Amino acid sequence: MVGSLNFVNSPLLAEAPPPLLEHHPLGASTGYMVDLRGEWPRLVEEASRVSSFAVELAALGEDELPGLLDFLAGDPPLPFRYLSAHAPSKERIQSEVEIVAQLAELPQLVDSIVVHPDQIEDPAAYAALGGRLVIENMDARKTAGKRVEELTQLFEALPQAGFCFDVAHAWSVDPTMALGEELLDRFAGRLRHVHLSSLSPQGGHVPLTGEDEGLFAPLLSRCRDVPWILEAEPRLH
Amino acid sequence: MSSLEQLAEYSDGGFSNLSMARTRTATRIADTRARLAAVPADPDACVALFGSWGRRELTDHSDDDWAIVVNGAERPETQPAAARIGEVLGGGEREPGVRGTFGNAVFCDHLVDRIGLDADDNKNLTMRILLQLESVAVVNDEVHRACQSRVLDGYLDWSVKDYRPPRFFLNDLVRYWRTICVDFVGKEREGSGQKWALRNLKLGTSRKILFASGLLPILLCHRYVASDIRSFLSRMLERPSIDRIAWAFIELGAIDAGIRAVGAYDRFLEMIGDRSVREELEQLSRKEAQRSASFQEGRRLGEELEQGLLALLFETRLEPMVREHGIF
Repeated sequence: MVGSLNFVNSPLLAEAPPPLLEHHPLGASTGYMVDLRGEWPRLVEEASRVSSFAVELAALGEDELPGLLDFLAGDPPLPFRYLSAHAPSKERIQSEVEIVAQLAELPQLVDSIVVHPDQIEDPAAYAALGGRLVIENMDARKTAGKRVEELTQLFEALPQAGFCFDVAHAWSVDPTMALGEELLDRFAGRLRHVHLSSLSPQGGHVPLTGEDEGLFAPLLSRCRDVPWILEAEPRLH
Repeated sequence: MSSLEQLAEYSDGGFSNLSMARTRTATRIADTRARLAAVPADPDACVALFGSWGRRELTDHSDDDWAIVVNGAERPETQPAAARIGEVLGGGEREPGVRGTFGNAVFCDHLVDRIGLDADDNKNLTMRILLQLESVAVVNDEVHRACQSRVLDGYLDWSVKDYRPPRFFLNDLVRYWRTICVDFVGKEREGSGQKWALRNLKLGTSRKILFASGLLPILLCHRYVASDIRSFLSRMLERPSIDRIAWAFIELGAIDAGIRAVGAYDRFLEMIGDRSVREELEQLSRKEAQRSASFQEGRRLGEELEQGLLALLFETRLEPMVREHGIF
């Protein structure tokens, strides 16, 4: 109501949330396209079939990062309006400084650079990534970066950094989804995109199940304005 | 408490740049009013400031886009004279735009009587929309309000219906938004597209705020009977643009998206308030901008703002209104 004016709110206009995979913008992570790993043109082609609006180019192993840099340096004609790159998240071989230096070379068309907090030893080293740095909440198997207080410390050290909400990771730590609510409450202003999938018993990303779709829906309704990146193949049925 | 402050309470760190800009603007408005207090003015003329003044978002580098707005027909001379106002406003780097839209007298009869057709030129359309959506008076506030009221009445004729957004106003607003988008390219093609990068970023942020701050109240008229629509719009338009938007995010239950959208705009304000960044953006060519970290950061902030506004328009109870009235 505004002042003394009364308005109608027709029940015909009640919200009926659409199925999750109808979200816009939706995108695919190339991380699940394991058979094509390193073949960036084909990965992009495959991701474009899921969505031409958003994508996450995942260089999950350090050895994939130079290839991604070379590919992007060639100014490929990419259709995506939102382009994320996922930093290496597997066992590190190079020094942290060397990895960050390579990430900083990602061209400006890359909107966000997703980093796992358990890979961060010296937060100051990541300041060079500025507002493109996006920190993801971790799953139950990890030793750091799962809870609000752990992530708060990182964000205090890296005030420009954004937040990537991995809803399945939050579920693995707290199946009641209360942690997910806390993360969104605390880091709402930082949220840049969502990682969407279900998790296998071993903790790997698998296609979103119908059960999880219902479980995750309330939290995802708080993220309607950001890209959702699928970390596993879209479920067909 | 303003809607902006209410939305800020839900966020982690508030919107410090918008808040500081609002305080700065209030101080500058009071100062300007004092400096112009002794200037003789016709009883039907006011001096209004537009753009970031009207949005209450002044940075240290904002232009003084001003005009003498006369609540009447065109005449050859007005008090105050433009030259007299130019002694106080628009000096140095604050000079109003070069296309003659500002720094002159504007006549409300034209704003009201020339809506559409050839006589409604770019300047007239611009003035009419800005007067409604982002202006503030520094001389003769009551004349300014009277002109706003006349323009609003000019849109709300017999065709306004219960529970329907006022089409005439909506169409004029959409036309204005698309006009500035098309003119952006037009200026570039005619070779007058200086400061391409900065103007491009403003189109994606502050111009979008202007458009959305009119679009949202107009669409939300669908809640009211025809006799209440004028009152609703009038109360909405008294608020600064960003307050109208913050209010809509809260009202429609899209608080998370609102925090992010307004937060992105807040960061953009910080960015262009930085002299070195602003100077860099003023110099960048279109080609250079693609590789500029500052430009790309500004572009990303514009995208975040847009995605929040789109979620408000398409993921809330507004969606049927957008579908029904937003395209055709």
